[in-house]
Amino acid sequence: MITRAGVRTGFAVLQLVAVAVGVFVLTTFLPGDTADVVLGPLATVEQIDTLRIQLGLDRPVGERFLDWAGGLLHGDFGTSLATGQPVVDDLAARLGVTVVPAVLAVVVLVPLAVALGSYGGRHPGSPADRIITATTTVAQAVPDFALGLLLVALFALHLGWLPATAAGTVGLAGLTAAMLVLPVAILVSNQLGRLARQVRIGVVEADAAEHVVHLRRLGLDERTVLLRHVLPGGVVPSVQQFARTVDGLLGGVIVVEALFALPGVGSGFVQAVQNRDLPVVQGYALLFALTTVVVNLAADLVSARLVPQAVRL
Amino acid sequence: MTVLGIETPPVVRRRARRRGRVTRRVLRVLGIVLLAVPLLAAVAGPLFAPSTAAGDVPLQDPGPGHLLGTDVLGRDLLGLLLQGGTTVVTLTVASLLLAYLVATPIGLVVAARGRIVETVTIGLLDVLLALPSLLVLMVLAATGRRSVVWLVLAVAFVQLPYVVRLVRGAAAAPACLAALETMTMTGEPWWRVRIVETGRRVLPPTIVDATTRVTGVVGLLSSANFLGVGLDPLVVDWAVVVDQNMTALFLRPSVVLLPAALLVALCAGTNLLVDDLLERRS
Repeated sequence: MITRAGVRTGFAVLQLVAVAVGVFVLTTFLPGDTADVVLGPLATVEQIDTLRIQLGLDRPVGERFLDWAGGLLHGDFGTSLATGQPVVDDLAARLGVTVVPAVLAVVVLVPLAVALGSYGGRHPGSPADRIITATTTVAQAVPDFALGLLLVALFALHLGWLPATAAGTVGLAGLTAAMLVLPVAILVSNQLGRLARQVRIGVVEADAAEHVVHLRRLGLDERTVLLRHVLPGGVVPSVQQFARTVDGLLGGVIVVEALFALPGVGSGFVQAVQNRDLPVVQGYALLFALTTVVVNLAADLVSARLVPQAVRL
Repeated sequence: MTVLGIETPPVVRRRARRRGRVTRRVLRVLGIVLLAVPLLAAVAGPLFAPSTAAGDVPLQDPGPGHLLGTDVLGRDLLGLLLQGGTTVVTLTVASLLLAYLVATPIGLVVAARGRIVETVTIGLLDVLLALPSLLVLMVLAATGRRSVVWLVLAVAFVQLPYVVRLVRGAAAAPACLAALETMTMTGEPWWRVRIVETGRRVLPPTIVDATTRVTGVVGLLSSANFLGVGLDPLVVDWAVVVDQNMTALFLRPSVVLLPAALLVALCAGTNLLVDDLLERRS
């Protein structure tokens, strides 16, 4: 078990290294030079050469990579071309705005998914089960921004209950609870389907398991059977799905932040892409990939601990 | 399950099942209707669409000249709706085809060539899984690569790990192996048994899997277009139109909501029908 966990952790480290190389390759090797891209088609050859030297692009590729990777190990993600500020400062300022809705989404999502999933799992094939499954999977299949726009039209434009955008706010302090309702709703609707479905399958299986049938036969009351025996057995296999959910939430924030003009990591990333601010793009890409790797690692380790036979580390 | 008196009585259960079947039929019809509208617009729309030349008075009311009015760039909204679906559908089909054409042979070879090849390939592909899909598209856009070709390549690329895993799993299914072992023993060459014959057997589950990926790919492509990191802004595409008209959301919501609703209908309809298909198979 411990050696396997070690191997899995080693693999995660390998993934991180590969991702760092991948991000560097994507932004360095493919046709088109950073200096060209930053200055655009109207720049003169001298301007491009000056910027190349300024950015250190005239040095050998290997040296540049080692420099960049060495900086990463010390927490130095480079300097933004647009603002001249360290990328880390920018990230830190935006992180809170992203983490708060994501955490709220998890707080809403998990109980909701367990409730809907276990209801469906206890009454498989019933109209309620079908409608729950259909609604949650459709909500998940629909592109976030399109669903978000329909919700904005209904709740902000038509009913006037909620603000349509958080535009104009700076940092976490300017946000009000009302501004977060729709973003959180979209994040939840995007992830609810997968998680609820996974819980439903787990509960259907656990409900039919021999020990559960036996406990019912012994006359244990239904409440205890459900809460103590069906649910734990049904929910534990969903841990890995939950990891993917957290990861999906972090991916979903890119679109949701752009839609509601929330000043978080996602909209910072979109802005950096539009400004062609490559050091910032590299930093954000790494941050997102790092989150994916760490969350999946944690999920694998946790579920290996809870259901050793189900997980091959 | 017939555990003494604790389970719900069978009659009630059967009735619930029957009502469940009715619900399922209703959902199927709903899926067909939801899918038909955007699909028709995407496939046949361009034949009837009015011109989408820019430069007329922006944000006009619906009227005789423009049946649904105009958008912020002064283009005919009806024309945009009828022409904007083609890119979504063709790019989705192209990316999925490319992903499956590349991944199926890889999956088959991986399943055929034993443990070392398998561990190495799947390990490499798992590394790819660590890259969120939208991120790959954004990094490409940040470095100035945003043509249709790059978009299709990138979307196909991020599907690879999942499809290779699926094909490998299907090729190792026990029902597959028994018949193929016989062929191997009669002296057929390995590629014939492991690639051609296994490939034929792997095809049905692979196609079913492809249908489950449609909405994911539509979502990825349209999110990229909405964020301005996908197609060129000059291309008429529902998501691009939404992005361009976001500033008019308060002035004239229909310009934003109609293309968004078509995308929603496309994904919701596909999803309902795919779920129905999956359930019928199981």
